[in-house]
Amino acid sequence: MSHGRARTNDRAVAALAAAAMLLFAACQGESEKKQGSVLRFSGSALGAEGTLVARQLARFARLNPDVRVELQRTPDDATQRHQLYVQWLNAQAGSPDILQLDVVWTAEFAAAGWILPLNRFSPPIADFFPATVTANTWAGKLYALPWFADVGLLYRRTDLVPNEPTSLEALATEARAAMARPGGPHYGIVWQGARYEGLITTFSEYLGAFGGRILDERGQVVVNRPEAVRALTFMRDQLYGSRIAPLDVLTWHEEESRFAFQNGNAVFMRNWPYAVEQMSDSASSRVAGKFAVSPMPAAAGGHSTASLGGAQLAINAYSGSPAAAYRLIAYLTAPEQMIERAQGVGQYPTRSALYSDPRLRAVRAIPVDQAKRAIESATPRPVTPIYTEMSEILQIELHRALVRQAEPQEALNSAAKRIEALIERTGMRKLTTRAGS
Amino acid sequence: MKSEARLGWMLVAPAIGVIALIAIFPLGWTVWESLHVHELRMPWLGKPFIGLDNYLEIARDPRFWGALGHTAFFTVVSISIELILGLFLALAMNRAFRGRGFVRAAVLVPWAIPTVVAALLWRFMFESEAGIANALLVDAGILHKPIVWFIQAATAWVPVILADVWKTTPFVALLLLAGLQNIDLTLYEAAAVDGANQWWQLRHVTLPLLKPAILVTLIFRTLDGFRVFDLIYVLTGGGPGTSTEPVALYTFNALLQNLRFGYGSALSVVIFAITFGLALLYMKGLGVNLGGDER
Repeated sequence: MSHGRARTNDRAVAALAAAAMLLFAACQGESEKKQGSVLRFSGSALGAEGTLVARQLARFARLNPDVRVELQRTPDDATQRHQLYVQWLNAQAGSPDILQLDVVWTAEFAAAGWILPLNRFSPPIADFFPATVTANTWAGKLYALPWFADVGLLYRRTDLVPNEPTSLEALATEARAAMARPGGPHYGIVWQGARYEGLITTFSEYLGAFGGRILDERGQVVVNRPEAVRALTFMRDQLYGSRIAPLDVLTWHEEESRFAFQNGNAVFMRNWPYAVEQMSDSASSRVAGKFAVSPMPAAAGGHSTASLGGAQLAINAYSGSPAAAYRLIAYLTAPEQMIERAQGVGQYPTRSALYSDPRLRAVRAIPVDQAKRAIESATPRPVTPIYTEMSEILQIELHRALVRQAEPQEALNSAAKRIEALIERTGMRKLTTRAGS
Repeated sequence: MKSEARLGWMLVAPAIGVIALIAIFPLGWTVWESLHVHELRMPWLGKPFIGLDNYLEIARDPRFWGALGHTAFFTVVSISIELILGLFLALAMNRAFRGRGFVRAAVLVPWAIPTVVAALLWRFMFESEAGIANALLVDAGILHKPIVWFIQAATAWVPVILADVWKTTPFVALLLLAGLQNIDLTLYEAAAVDGANQWWQLRHVTLPLLKPAILVTLIFRTLDGFRVFDLIYVLTGGGPGTSTEPVALYTFNALLQNLRFGYGSALSVVIFAITFGLALLYMKGLGVNLGGDER
């Protein structure tokens, strides 16, 4: 599940453009179907992103005259695309050949046998950020190549807090000091606290900062350990103790947080990289030129942690032409295409070497050094086939603790108990031992 | 006579076939699904027959019982308010006054707005600290400072119930108005001659004769209330935590979010059984024949 990026203003135009492109693709496909195999690529195809993908696909087709490439449009909304994929793959449909997966789906699709392991194509694993590889590895095999990365960032007002906070505790102190200044913002920090996937990404960063995890290496549930309780208590204290976070965040998603920060109402904000570009425009943003990003700081006993998002490309296990499909994936994840993507739509490359490329440094939407540091400190959410249901349990229990329906320890105990029951019910233990052997 | 009966059966056969196809077959299929493990996202589990295990899981799931409680709470509270307000509205509209036709049409406007749109409107009013609900209540001195409505169960219910009452009272009023118009005016004249005042007329003439209309309204509204989904989905998403989650939302979640077809089907069967039972109970309990022939 990805975070919602409201581009409501562009929606109509984007839909039109995508429809036109589809029509174009469909006509082409119709006239030249007899020429060799048809490769169907599916993924987000809205607006500038859609135009970019279409351009890259067309270029690939010119370089590979033996294959025809078609763009199969799928919903931009991650949940809807997931549902569609699951329906198709249950029916063992061979099309689309290439799937665009959200970072938390790879294990699920791999365990279901719906996507192919890529190791036999010897992908250049070492070139990608380790966290992006871990997120796509199931039972020791790589199942998808990271296409672009999304990473949780701490935004701060440089006119109020010139330097990066060195720890979470320091962040709280600095937030309070800035709020107390005459005319200072009402809110110290804003994040995503509504009951949805975004809450897990926020929590994961605090969890890592305090040295906690959701599952350990052996897949045991450790989300009710003292570190986790400290992390959740710290978040709750921001709401009711130090009161640097407004209670409103408990109903907020990415966009509400951005509005608050962009209007100058907050000292700090936790958000994804997309906000950089939007808030740099002085016509609509009161904080243009007055903010900077950095990785989330650590607390005592943990390390700086960023949640990892982004998209991966995988091959449909029922595809008729897996080799050609891999060629296309390799092409789209090659350095040139990643740079073009960063320039066109500001999405972060997943290859670490590109962060010293001058062309990437020229992209306004990407603060290269901070972005690189954040991705290096990124931790994937638990890589497990039952992630979605596990996340739902956590969303509910975390939210209960944050709205004070339950104490942190009590809520996390309940989460741990229910996740263990989920692992039991879904036969995960058997599955992992079988896959591991 | 026999051939006539056969002809009769033949004539209704297509209708019965259609009913079987669109009502009985899906219901049977759902029951059959509910006896299996069938998780679309976990093909490694296969599709084994597990008897009543899904139903046992439901019975042991506190989230289900919570959802059932929320649904019952929502249904009872919102329908009680709607019935009382609707009755007043119906009595008012039943009087002769200028522009009556216009008023009768105008009250239906909230009901004509799609639920999702209405729910969004109500969410905007209650959502932020600067929302209109907070502004009005602070201005009126009822609240000291703006509150965040959706982070406490008690306050999260307020917009939910208000939105439902606002939207559905006109529908209730119209149903009751239809009932009122069926009452013979001479009964009131006779009551007046016997010295009954307005209150007595309401209690002993209007309400008893309105019983069929009230029953129809109750059945409609209870069944609607028990299946409430879109309103809460948009307004609170079932939160905070799961404290406003109704059974339909829980079922949607199991069936369409988690793609647990077996368990979700079992939940659907349970909802069906409850609403069906309620409908039967109403018919018996209120002692009214819906056909109205006996009168």
